[in-house]
Amino acid sequence: MRLNLRIYEGRLLPFWLLFALFFAFGQSFAQTGRRITGKVTDTKGQPIPSVTITVKGVARATQTDVEGKFGINAASGETLTLTSIGYTTKDVAVTGETVYNIELAESSNSLKDVVVVGYGTTTRKTISSAITQVKQEDLNRGAIADVGQLLQGKVPGLNITASGDPNKPAAVILRGASTVNSPGAPYYVIDGIPGADIAAVAPNDIVTIDVLKDAAATAIYGNRASAGVIMVTTKRGKKGSALVTYNGYGGIEKVSNQLDLMNADEIRAFLAKNNSAFTANNDFGANTDWMKAIERSTAYSQNHNISLSGGSEHGTYSASINYFNKQGILKGSSLERVIGRLSVDQYALNDKLKFSLNLSNSTSNSNNVPLQNIVLLQAAKHLPVNPIYNANGTYFENFNTPGYYNPVSLSNNAQDNTKYNVLLGSFVTEVKLPFGLTYNVNLSYQKTNSQHGEFYSSYYNQYPSAGFYNNPDPGIGVSHTLINFGQNGSAFRSNYSNTTKTLETFLTWNKKFGDHSLNAVLGYSYQDNVYGDGIQVSSTNFPADNIGYNNLALGNPYGVPGYRINVGNDLTYGKILMISDFFRLNYNYKDKYLVQGSIRRDGSSVFGTNNRWGYFPAGSVAWRISQEDFMKDQSFVNELKLRASYGVTGNSFGIGAYTAQLLYGINGTYYNNGIQAGAYSPFQGQNPDLKWERTATTNVGVDFAILNNKVTGSVDVYNKNTTDMLFGYRVSAALIPGGFINANGGSINNKGVELSLTVNAVSTKDFNWSSTVNAAYNKNKVTSLKSPYANGDSIQYTSPEGPGQSGATLQILKVGYPLGQFFTFKYAGKDANGNSLFFKRDGSTTTQPIQGNDYFYAGSPQPKVLMGWSNSFRYKNFDLNIFLRGTFGSKIFNATRADLSNTSSASVNNILRSASDDRTTDIRNYFYSDRYLESGSYVRLDNTTLGYNFKQPIKSISNIRVYLTGNNLFVITGYKGIDPEINQGGQSPGVDYNNFYPKTRTFLLGVNVSL
Amino acid sequence: MKKIFSSIVSVLGLAVALTSCHKTDVKVNTELTPDIFPQTPAQYQAASGAVYIAFRSDYAGAYFFSQSHTTDENLLAVFNSDWIDGNRYSELHRHTWTKDNSGINGVWYYLTNLIGVTNQTISIFNSAPAGSAKNTSMAELKTMRAFAYYMMMDSFGNVPLDTLYGNKELQPNAPRAQVFNFVESELKAALPYLKTDVNTATYGLPTKYLAYSLLAKMYLNAAVYTGSPRYSDCIAACDQIISSGKYSVEPMASYLQMFYPTNGPTTQKEFIFAIPYDASTNGGNLIFARYNLNRNLGIRYQYSGSTAGGFTNPVINQDSGNGLVNNRPSGPSMTTKEYYAYFNDPNDIRNKQWLTGQQYWQDGTPIMVSTTNQGYDQFYKGSAPDAKLVYPLVLSELTFRPRAGTNSDYDLGRDEIAWNTGYRNNKFLPDYTNPINRNQNNDFPVFRYSDILLMKAEAIARGGAATLGSTALSLVNQVRANRTTSAALTSLDLEGIYGERVREMAYEGWHRNDMIRFGKYEGTWGLGKTNADTYRRIFPIPTSGFQTNTKLVQNPGYAN
Repeated sequence: MRLNLRIYEGRLLPFWLLFALFFAFGQSFAQTGRRITGKVTDTKGQPIPSVTITVKGVARATQTDVEGKFGINAASGETLTLTSIGYTTKDVAVTGETVYNIELAESSNSLKDVVVVGYGTTTRKTISSAITQVKQEDLNRGAIADVGQLLQGKVPGLNITASGDPNKPAAVILRGASTVNSPGAPYYVIDGIPGADIAAVAPNDIVTIDVLKDAAATAIYGNRASAGVIMVTTKRGKKGSALVTYNGYGGIEKVSNQLDLMNADEIRAFLAKNNSAFTANNDFGANTDWMKAIERSTAYSQNHNISLSGGSEHGTYSASINYFNKQGILKGSSLERVIGRLSVDQYALNDKLKFSLNLSNSTSNSNNVPLQNIVLLQAAKHLPVNPIYNANGTYFENFNTPGYYNPVSLSNNAQDNTKYNVLLGSFVTEVKLPFGLTYNVNLSYQKTNSQHGEFYSSYYNQYPSAGFYNNPDPGIGVSHTLINFGQNGSAFRSNYSNTTKTLETFLTWNKKFGDHSLNAVLGYSYQDNVYGDGIQVSSTNFPADNIGYNNLALGNPYGVPGYRINVGNDLTYGKILMISDFFRLNYNYKDKYLVQGSIRRDGSSVFGTNNRWGYFPAGSVAWRISQEDFMKDQSFVNELKLRASYGVTGNSFGIGAYTAQLLYGINGTYYNNGIQAGAYSPFQGQNPDLKWERTATTNVGVDFAILNNKVTGSVDVYNKNTTDMLFGYRVSAALIPGGFINANGGSINNKGVELSLTVNAVSTKDFNWSSTVNAAYNKNKVTSLKSPYANGDSIQYTSPEGPGQSGATLQILKVGYPLGQFFTFKYAGKDANGNSLFFKRDGSTTTQPIQGNDYFYAGSPQPKVLMGWSNSFRYKNFDLNIFLRGTFGSKIFNATRADLSNTSSASVNNILRSASDDRTTDIRNYFYSDRYLESGSYVRLDNTTLGYNFKQPIKSISNIRVYLTGNNLFVITGYKGIDPEINQGGQSPGVDYNNFYPKTRTFLLGVNVSL
Repeated sequence: MKKIFSSIVSVLGLAVALTSCHKTDVKVNTELTPDIFPQTPAQYQAASGAVYIAFRSDYAGAYFFSQSHTTDENLLAVFNSDWIDGNRYSELHRHTWTKDNSGINGVWYYLTNLIGVTNQTISIFNSAPAGSAKNTSMAELKTMRAFAYYMMMDSFGNVPLDTLYGNKELQPNAPRAQVFNFVESELKAALPYLKTDVNTATYGLPTKYLAYSLLAKMYLNAAVYTGSPRYSDCIAACDQIISSGKYSVEPMASYLQMFYPTNGPTTQKEFIFAIPYDASTNGGNLIFARYNLNRNLGIRYQYSGSTAGGFTNPVINQDSGNGLVNNRPSGPSMTTKEYYAYFNDPNDIRNKQWLTGQQYWQDGTPIMVSTTNQGYDQFYKGSAPDAKLVYPLVLSELTFRPRAGTNSDYDLGRDEIAWNTGYRNNKFLPDYTNPINRNQNNDFPVFRYSDILLMKAEAIARGGAATLGSTALSLVNQVRANRTTSAALTSLDLEGIYGERVREMAYEGWHRNDMIRFGKYEGTWGLGKTNADTYRRIFPIPTSGFQTNTKLVQNPGYAN
């Protein structure tokens, strides 16, 4: 017979099987024994497909089909060995019977789980580094389009923050911010394609996500691995099984919390209490809830995923189509996405040669709320006594109050749309060579395209051109600027694409000498990345409003004096070349002593000519104590493994393709002989020494399973040091124009502990309960900020620029403090007149503190502890999953509350109920100070899912599962803002900044059908 | 076996072929790299533009504020909680600034960046082909750098002399006299190569006459800067400009238009060096109307595209409709009573640069404002706070008489009374030609011929030798003949020259310089300016300076 072995990425067969395989090349076996058949089921009686069944000592094997059935030739006295991912291996003696119904127990410690590492796979028991695997069934459920949110709370050390915005991906930070400059997001590898865009994957198509955390695991992706590597494995077909599944759900969302703003009666009463009143220009007798006015009462979402897979003797296929549609809770925002995916594996030359073709295309259409941050700010500060519409049906506006624009009309008289497309294709050739060698050539191609349009109608003519400021997200050097809307409508259109071509080739050697196992990988990677290939243009002065941004040809920008067509920025286009050589060696002795070493040599065109290449070594060791002889006689400990690793990874995020080079750019225009001539000057100097930022991580961990595998877990302790940090350092502008230079210097340290514990408390035929807790502690500290010119002392940043507070900053980047350290005034209560007092530097109090001079260190936005707690129950055909998530020890600067506490302006801008005890004469009560610094700790009931399985309801349907999911059912927190889940990414973590997209509570009803 | 061997060899051969590329060079063909730019004379010309953009960037912003808000000419008041902005404006007005004052930090950045840009541009021009064009360009660049150092010396006194682009060696403060000598020698070295044409081609660029103007300013203030007066040198420098015959005093009929948004190289005869502000540029703009224009005068002066629309007789603060666009200037800046007192000649055309008293539409009808009792007076105590009130717009003179109920004596309140407080300067007329934003096309004069005449007059009055047959009195009368119909002066003292400078040079960025030289900087004015610390004649080295240069030492008198 032919061997019918399942070989696919994500699974590595035991070595002896491989030996058998190679021995089998070109030979045929005489069939022995008689035909026996049977069915393999789990402890719940569910069939297990794809169980590998081998006859011990003989190279004969088969797999169970989708119904768990198998057939194989075996003789009495021979032994069948059954192996399958997630189940305990079982030996069954062949007797005189011909039908065998075998039950496999789930291997609760999941030691045999296949773990995806760079350029290969391994099993959990033989890894010596810190890797967390999350399976499809453990991913967060909900109307989620973004992979970051799927992982929220599931991986210790992964800090993920998300808002309710369907068009904004979650911020993902692994083990604390490792650099100031970069976005800090992990590096995604999808089915072996490095740097792939995660938007290309539909959540339903994901089989596993492996999060590589320590440097020993990530260093094989040395050049971009500093913020961790997330390996995503998608579904593939299986030989001999044809599967059709449908997953679908519909959901509804409601806003989960609101700003606690005053209503019309309350603010009137507040003003009266302060001997004040509205003027006739302000009070129109309305009682408008402006936040409700910009929100949908209910937002709907739906998702449909059909996937087909199967395989014949020499090939497998898997295909799926996914449609997702979600309304944002803010009116006008929505996301619609279609993802198609196809993967084909084809074997040739006696299965020694494998070709894999993977294609996926994701196309999305995002409607954004135009000027979203301004709309949110305006809705918050609009007076409830103002109506949305005038009596004649036009929008209410009151331009007597500076910076006061009806948020509903802002949103309804403009459009903002982004169409995003990801095309991801790869072609993999794998050749099995003699002597345990395998050679891979992987080619991949990714093209992303973003088409953006904005249109502001002629309604915007009336907005004061001299006072319409934007409301940007905070960051270093970010300040409010005026927006110009041209005349008679203005439109922007841009279309940019990024293309990445990758060639990777590697030779793998698997060898076993007695008790010694070796696995070596030697490879090469070439990546060519072109970004910002495209165009931007703007126009204004349209004859009518309904043209939008789709036909710029109808505009007449020349009719508006002073208007400049916006063609975007210089340096939008860039080309980067990255070339790497890598080598990794794994050695293990009796699966007891595990050693791994790797080195990667990376070159990138972005660095200075003197320092293009960097070397990133890593090593790890592990000792499976439970395999030692002295552990044999006890039954308490089932598994105990000690791990230690050290490694270095590199980072080049945050700098552009040409940052190291002297380039001239357009610097604006200047008067030259009667015209405005273009001025071209160097915008950056040559820096031939610019080099890789390096992150060295030491990790010590222990994995254990005790009490008959009822309790399993792991603990990791790490110390992560980033050196040669890439950053725009301050330098005297007299030496370098602009006053800063991109250079290597400075360092950041992260230390932490991660813990994960699973208890399979009850496991009976009818009832199961398992519970998993994970927790992570991290401490972040900037340890140096050194530019090549002078000691960069500190940088104060994050300026919300509230009224009268130009120049006020909330955060400081300073050696010895964490990234995002708050540095602000210190509130000292009220004086006898009810005026706010602040501490001066010398400890005395004042009503007029001095910016900078009277600032105090006031806490860190970074959480001390992150926790996730998942509970799974099963009772007969019912299953119930309850997932709680918590963040502890973080501080949030509630700048929203500060700005909405401006009691002296309460007659023109609404305020929060929390400010009702402050007086209108207290003109500094809303000054940014530690009064508005709050604890960001919370516990959220993130997800509850109740499901019911109909097993084989009709003959041709193997399973139907119906489930009901609730997201964000409650939050326990002392935080006074809308939600304590404030963005933890970027340079300004933990600032609630008038731009918070409301969080929602979601309910969805879903069905999964398997044919 | 042979088959196996050959397959291994072929696979390895493929592997070697696929992995042989290790070249990480990317040919840059989308950017201007040094091997392609600058090469031609036009490209070098384009490369010099950055200097003028850097000069323009904040001259009419933070730099102007530091020269004007520290004097009795101008102040920016607080309106309830608006415009507190870390007390940066009250500190300038009351002479209580510290090294943290963000305005002063802004000036330091503006000037050091201008120096850095010129240093960088000089380093680019080092590789230009030798010849007279290069000599002229170098002279122009070094004149601009000398100008930047002049402003540094004038504002901060003892500053580091960074003259090499990208130099990693930090310089300590050079004493003020040494900076003076550096500026003088650089200007003198540049003089032979600078252009003498005065036309559109040299407008906004440094000419020989800019260099002489700067030298005249240096010598007139030499006693302040170095302790040694050099009035005759000042007169000699002024004479180079006067005897060139290229400039004349603008006649009374076109005096006001000299500062209008439509001004330029061909509309006046006085500008020796002006910054050609253009509303469409993004590297620095003039937005005087934002600060100086009264809030209720946006429509009257078409501020930022404001129009009355269909309102034939508009009352300000009517809301919207009929095409009404009411961009309201912020309008927090005003002059002091002490300063305005110098405008006491009713026949003087220069009075017309001010907005005072009752305001009228173009057709002469009074401007009316619609509000409520409480909107007019936030401390209204009557029975009808919501009752509508339409009142005629009258601007009142600023007096130091804190309003009862406001939070501090620097706070004017937040109501119509507050906004209508203070006489407003309207010399740089709001730009009626730009309908889409607040940027103004008014070119801003840095050196004007009248200033040269007044400097020479002052140098003579202070003991310099009179030349070319003119006296201090004749020079001042030469200016006045084009400003007022009143009779010429018959006698003149230093106080008279000071008064003439106040009237002639208002809001042109020289008043701090004048007040210090005339010993008036320690006077009392405005909203409680009483501080008389003489060390404040120079600003402190600001925080941002210390952050990037650890060798700097703080100026005397200031806390570090």
